[in-house]
Amino acid sequence: MMVRGPTMMVTLALAALVPATAWTQSATATRSAQGDLSVTIYNGGVSLVQDIRQLDIPAGRSRQEFPDVSAQIQPATVSFAASGTGIVEQNFDYDLLSPDALMQKAVGEVVTLIRTNTATGAEARERAKVLAVNNGVVLQIGERIEILRDDGLPVRVIFDKIPPNLRAKPTLSITLESKSGGVRPATLSYLTGGLGWVADYVSLFDEKSGAIDVQGWITLTNSTGTTFTAARTLLVAGSPNGAGNYNTRNRGRGTLRRAGTETAPREQLGDYYLYPLAERTTIANAQQKQVSFLDVQRVPAKKAYEYAVGWLISSSEPQSANSVIRFSSSAQGGLGDALPAGTVRFYQRDARGDPQFIGESQIGHTPMGSELGLTTGQAFDVKVQATVEKRERISDTRWRTSMKYTVTNAKNEAVVVDVTQDGLDWYWTDTRIIAESLPSKRRDSNGTRWNVAVPANGETVVTATFETRF
Amino acid sequence: MRRILILALMAAQTSTVAAQQIVTSPSPEKVAVSIYRDPDRDDGGIELGNLNGFALISETRTVDLPAGEADIRFEGVADGIIAVSAIVTGLPGGTVQKNRDAALLSPASLVDGSLGNRVMLRRTDRATGTVREETATVRSSAAGAVVVETPAGFETLRCTGLAETLVYNGVPAGLSAKPTLSVRTRSAAAGRATITLTYLATGFDWAANYVADLSDDGTRVDLLAWMTIANSNGASFADATLNALAGSVNVDSDYAELGTPPTADALQLRCFATGSGRYGQPDYALEDAGEIVVTAMRREPGAPMALRAMESATPVTVVAEMEALGDLKLYRVPVPTTVAANAQKQVALLVKPNVPVRRLYQVTLTPFGEGDYQLAHLLRLENRAAKGLGEPLPAGQVALFEPAAGERRYAGAAMLRDHAVGETVNMLVGLSSQVRLKLSAANVKGQWTGELTNANPHPVDVEVRFDLGGSATPKRGLSSLPRKDGFSIWAVTVPANGTRTFSYRTGQ
Repeated sequence: MMVRGPTMMVTLALAALVPATAWTQSATATRSAQGDLSVTIYNGGVSLVQDIRQLDIPAGRSRQEFPDVSAQIQPATVSFAASGTGIVEQNFDYDLLSPDALMQKAVGEVVTLIRTNTATGAEARERAKVLAVNNGVVLQIGERIEILRDDGLPVRVIFDKIPPNLRAKPTLSITLESKSGGVRPATLSYLTGGLGWVADYVSLFDEKSGAIDVQGWITLTNSTGTTFTAARTLLVAGSPNGAGNYNTRNRGRGTLRRAGTETAPREQLGDYYLYPLAERTTIANAQQKQVSFLDVQRVPAKKAYEYAVGWLISSSEPQSANSVIRFSSSAQGGLGDALPAGTVRFYQRDARGDPQFIGESQIGHTPMGSELGLTTGQAFDVKVQATVEKRERISDTRWRTSMKYTVTNAKNEAVVVDVTQDGLDWYWTDTRIIAESLPSKRRDSNGTRWNVAVPANGETVVTATFETRF
Repeated sequence: MRRILILALMAAQTSTVAAQQIVTSPSPEKVAVSIYRDPDRDDGGIELGNLNGFALISETRTVDLPAGEADIRFEGVADGIIAVSAIVTGLPGGTVQKNRDAALLSPASLVDGSLGNRVMLRRTDRATGTVREETATVRSSAAGAVVVETPAGFETLRCTGLAETLVYNGVPAGLSAKPTLSVRTRSAAAGRATITLTYLATGFDWAANYVADLSDDGTRVDLLAWMTIANSNGASFADATLNALAGSVNVDSDYAELGTPPTADALQLRCFATGSGRYGQPDYALEDAGEIVVTAMRREPGAPMALRAMESATPVTVVAEMEALGDLKLYRVPVPTTVAANAQKQVALLVKPNVPVRRLYQVTLTPFGEGDYQLAHLLRLENRAAKGLGEPLPAGQVALFEPAAGERRYAGAAMLRDHAVGETVNMLVGLSSQVRLKLSAANVKGQWTGELTNANPHPVDVEVRFDLGGSATPKRGLSSLPRKDGFSIWAVTVPANGTRTFSYRTGQ
């Protein structure tokens, strides 16, 4: 009664709420054999599952099966601990039950055949010995040798038993030697594939006041084929397998503008931050689950325009500058947290006050205190056209190239565009800037940058002359 | 004593797991749809069979919330919903978690979910029609085949040649008909709440379709632009607030993948071999999920969709309103509009009569490009208010109509990228067979001769653009020409039924 009381009440409540069109769920849902679950999920690759089950282990040697482990378990990583027991062996059996396997294992055994008369429906029953299964089943019935259903007529084959090693699903079993008998907690832990997580950020940008509201969501996905019931869940921002390769060199200007040096107020595992979920949760098979981990308001953020020219070359048409939103993850004037890798989606309110999507950008794992510049799109009204005005040879090895950068702004407010001339450093050449109409800042040997102020509904022209060796 | 403790533990666990009350929200009361173009397309029109844009959908829904924890299941959302982008606002108790469940009810999941459970095995006698049912227990999973235990022993389903099937007495827990989005909330008190569900969804696209009507003297065009939107989702959005966004938004994630939830595995029955060497494949019919069939009419090449709309010269009464949204342009349809499933729709975007236009012919030469050229036929507009235009022009297609033999006739099509106010618009409407250039090398090294020919009965304006290449010095004879867009430009008029010749030398 103690068990049935609450369950029944819940069932009634459920029935009342589910609309009449919904189907009836099975009255007897299969109960999971899982125990007290803890799941540690990394960004990619593997996850660690710890499952504490109450096992009734008899004294002496016994074989324990563990149903409802992840269907993508890495069996070689299983570890087991229960007081007063020692492990004799661990087995992972994946000889699966199928009609073909059943027939193969029945070679030499006797099965029952039931033949049905197609005209009358009358059944005739006889026993047959399976002689061989090689692209067809050869049977011995009394003195006769016959091929199963060679005439295509209906025959039911009834097997007396299922061989013990044929299983519906891959099964983990452990043979134990126990000092005493009785129920005790047993800890099973293993690695599994099929679980992973990323972050999804919702960022509402207020252009006028220069601020963003950011909500961070952990998105975890389960494609293991198994439901993890009421699991304590811990997410690790990182992948010990090195799957999340975010530290590769970025072409152009990446999202991380300056790496932070602040430590986030979160628990760490080595270099990885930990994101525990507040309560136990059921991670259903084929489920995508989102849980909030960050919610900050009014963080300063600035709109910027950026454009890069790859080489001293003309573009025949004006090209849009990137719209970039810059902000910080610092505790002072920033989001105040380390940001796990994921996608940041930006929204901005339209004239009616409805939020509209203005673009998204992916970030890698970002330390606290970092400066970020995320591209949301290409500006409709802010464009740059770079053209080669003159290119002349001044000696056998030196060339002089005059560039013109026409920056146009069709917005009714002034903007500043960061125009970068890249491609100045190729192999050992020493490219020099001979003249420029606006002082640039040499970013590195390969690029130089101008901060070009463009008036509302206007244009600004910047010229520069480069001397290159070839 | 120990046993009782375990039972109590299990009971507690069961109740926490099953304590979710389920509230179903069948449909929105109000919906706003903002459509974004295919981010990989710079110009041109949409492809009805392959809509690679997306939409931001904002739905207002009313739900009756019970006190305590409840899961709100959303039905009637777009098929292409990108679940990770879903935002729910207006819940008094906030969002505890969001879930997208995609364990689907299918023949295979029925078998899998019934493993170890009792089902009915039903056989129908083909000769007499007699139906016999017996209880059976499922012993294998759906991967491969079904083995059941009957009172007679162990049998395999559908390997017998008999008409037989499994009948289930319920749906295993946790399976749903479609991938379902739900949010879990925790309310202090029961009550009615108006909430907003906002999400991105795939299966939309839009483009501008311009109709340019050239005046009799060829100096002006009447410009009309349609906003052509399309929806390949199975969901319709009735009386929606409809917006279309122009400009390019950055998309880093794979929306096509995010908008396609996992599908159910098919149940594949595989038997042991029967007969002499033939594999006995049972005759099962795969459950076909049914592909989305686009029912809208296919556009014929060469006949732009704007054509139909323009044939009626009825003036448009509803024109979308434009506003700047950050660095994008938002076009709002001022009246509620229904965005139907698998349908395309057009609303006027821009009406600009009498815009001055210049017709010219253009050719771009590298200094060494010997050969015979057909010149590009362009219509050039200055996108400035002083020149009769001065409006943002979102990317799309242009259909050009010209009067000829007393009627307006279709005279060419052009692709148009996004143009900001102040830009020069060059509509490339085709290659001319009447206006040509022959460029030949002379006997003197580095000496080139070009002959422009015009077979029209009127003079034509020609622009010859010299591309000096990336690593060459300016060519003698060309260095005095004005420069534009990185080219040296020679502008010339070729007389009616006449020719113009020119020559130049390349250096070194």
